[in-house]
Amino acid sequence: MVERRKKIVLAKLGLDGHDNGIRIIAKWLMDEGYEVIYAGLYNKPERVIDIAVEESADAIGMSFQGGGHLYYAKRIIDLMKKRNIEGIKVIVGGVIPPFDVEELKRTGVHEVFTPGARKQVILERIASLLS
Amino acid sequence: MREEIERITNYRSQSGIEYKEYYDSSDWKGSLSPPGEYPYTRGIHRDMYRGRLWTRRQQSGFGTPKESNRRIKYLLSIGQTGINMDVDVATKTGLDADYPLAQGDVGLQGTSMSTYEDMKELYDGIPIDKVSSTLIIQPPYSVVTMAQYLLMAEERGIPWDRLTGTIMNCAITQYVGPTLQSNMTFFPFDLSIKIGYDLMEYLIEQVPRWNIININAYNMRETGIDAVQEAAFSMSLAADYIKGLLERGYDVDRFAPRIAFFSCAHMDLFEEVAKLRAMRRVWARMLKERFKAKNSKSLTWRTAVQTAALPLTAREPLNNIVRATIETLAAVLGGVQSIHTTGYDEAYSLPTEESHRLSVRTQQIIAYESKVANSADPLGGSYLVESLTDEIEEKIWELMKVIEEKGGFINCYKEGWVEDKINEARYRYAEAIENNDITVVGVNRFEGGDEEATINIFRHEEDMQRKRIEYVKEYKRKRNQEPVKRALENVYRLTRKGADMNMVGPIMEAVRAGATMQEICDAMRRACNFQIPK
Repeated sequence: MVERRKKIVLAKLGLDGHDNGIRIIAKWLMDEGYEVIYAGLYNKPERVIDIAVEESADAIGMSFQGGGHLYYAKRIIDLMKKRNIEGIKVIVGGVIPPFDVEELKRTGVHEVFTPGARKQVILERIASLLS
Repeated sequence: MREEIERITNYRSQSGIEYKEYYDSSDWKGSLSPPGEYPYTRGIHRDMYRGRLWTRRQQSGFGTPKESNRRIKYLLSIGQTGINMDVDVATKTGLDADYPLAQGDVGLQGTSMSTYEDMKELYDGIPIDKVSSTLIIQPPYSVVTMAQYLLMAEERGIPWDRLTGTIMNCAITQYVGPTLQSNMTFFPFDLSIKIGYDLMEYLIEQVPRWNIININAYNMRETGIDAVQEAAFSMSLAADYIKGLLERGYDVDRFAPRIAFFSCAHMDLFEEVAKLRAMRRVWARMLKERFKAKNSKSLTWRTAVQTAALPLTAREPLNNIVRATIETLAAVLGGVQSIHTTGYDEAYSLPTEESHRLSVRTQQIIAYESKVANSADPLGGSYLVESLTDEIEEKIWELMKVIEEKGGFINCYKEGWVEDKINEARYRYAEAIENNDITVVGVNRFEGGDEEATINIFRHEEDMQRKRIEYVKEYKRKRNQEPVKRALENVYRLTRKGADMNMVGPIMEAVRAGATMQEICDAMRRACNFQIPK
């Protein structure tokens, strides 16, 4: 049986337009064989979740440069709970201070990557998260 | 076990030029005119930093205007000599704090600024006739911010001809990327360029010492493009703006002295110095030969520099102090006019007060202790630097020619060519780190140090966003509504009327009447039936 390609929705939320990191991650994931749906900039949480559900995605990946990570990650997690969505993993990357990495994980984010995270590490951790 | 001989990974410059084993008179036989003389390779003044040190201009802005005012005053108190005010991303997209999509980003990446009151609070107690300001915002939003600033001067009784500073005012390069999506989502693109010209015209006429536009090469460079691309992209863009102003009937010597640049200083020290020297030459030649400028002030290329943040790391953050010092040195050796030294905590958050201070101190130590600022263009005549300067200049002209043949930079940008180049570059840069082609100490070489940051990290004030959202709502509720309505109606009507109407006056009247940033932008959006995401 051929295993289905894992699908990841990548999105920037709110107004933060810094997309350098997320575009590089998108390319690395595609090169690795993932199906990536890049939702671009200026999304609200509802839209990202709608796309993930519609596409039966395995994970949502969000990137933040400007400090909006807690605000938006909490809203994503809350909305998923409210809508009884299970099985979609939540991944966050970006400029995130250590104390917020812990806070994000307590909130229910599955993986957090910060600047300088190596490609191999990112790919391994996502693979194991989605296995 | 025997160690291998330790070698540097490769000998290429950051833009891919192969450094030679050594350089001698076979590499460069030229001669140079002195600093302060055409084509200004060696600097725009003969006495350079003896006549005037570069301005220490750290970007700052976060949270409420009041908090940012405190930080600006702190920076001035420790020897910062210019202000570099950054508004938050909501303000930069023409949205108020209470707009739903804006709420999560209020005050995070800059100061939340909606009202004229906000401007007065931001500059409270700061002598704007004595200290220059750079206002980091693009059109059409730049018009609102500039109007707030000018009205503040008026209220303080300061004539506009005593104001010095710069408005970024470039519709293309200001957003990070610059991606098409970010420039097309919140305002009609062509109209934003047009309104940018409106503001330039207004400033040419009314505020004689103010820089009318800042060509932002830095934000493009930060995606991963190289030194040659940075220079060629920004010079080509400047050429477009010059053409635009000529078409509006201005003599080149009337406005060229008031176009400034915002460039990057990266880690490759000699290449960066060569790039800055080459850019001065390209500008001088372009203005003289192509645009027939006669005034020597039109021929001198002036730039602010921010040190590159892309090479800075989250791992072992103190290493970034060394990186930023090298980059700052490159800017000084390159003869620039103002510097922002990026903080070592850049990979974590906005700079703390401590980090901001260190940035200012880095520049002061270079200025006062290292002696490198004592003579103009200290690397001039170096076989290596001169040969690199020549080679980079040649590559800049080549790339500018390609862009020109494609209809100019703005056209290349609209057609997606620029974004393609930027994407190529950002992947290439990331891959180069992955396969160790670029060495980043502590990340892909000499790893295994202390991974955890032991530095202090900036935190926003508790409840800052809620307070700002409340403030804007309250402000709109309490003011005298009638004049606001009338002024906005006027902005709407004149925007609909179209092309030959300069919008600065009507926008200034709306600010004076008490309209907010978003209300003014919404009036113009409405006039074009332009929808923005909610």
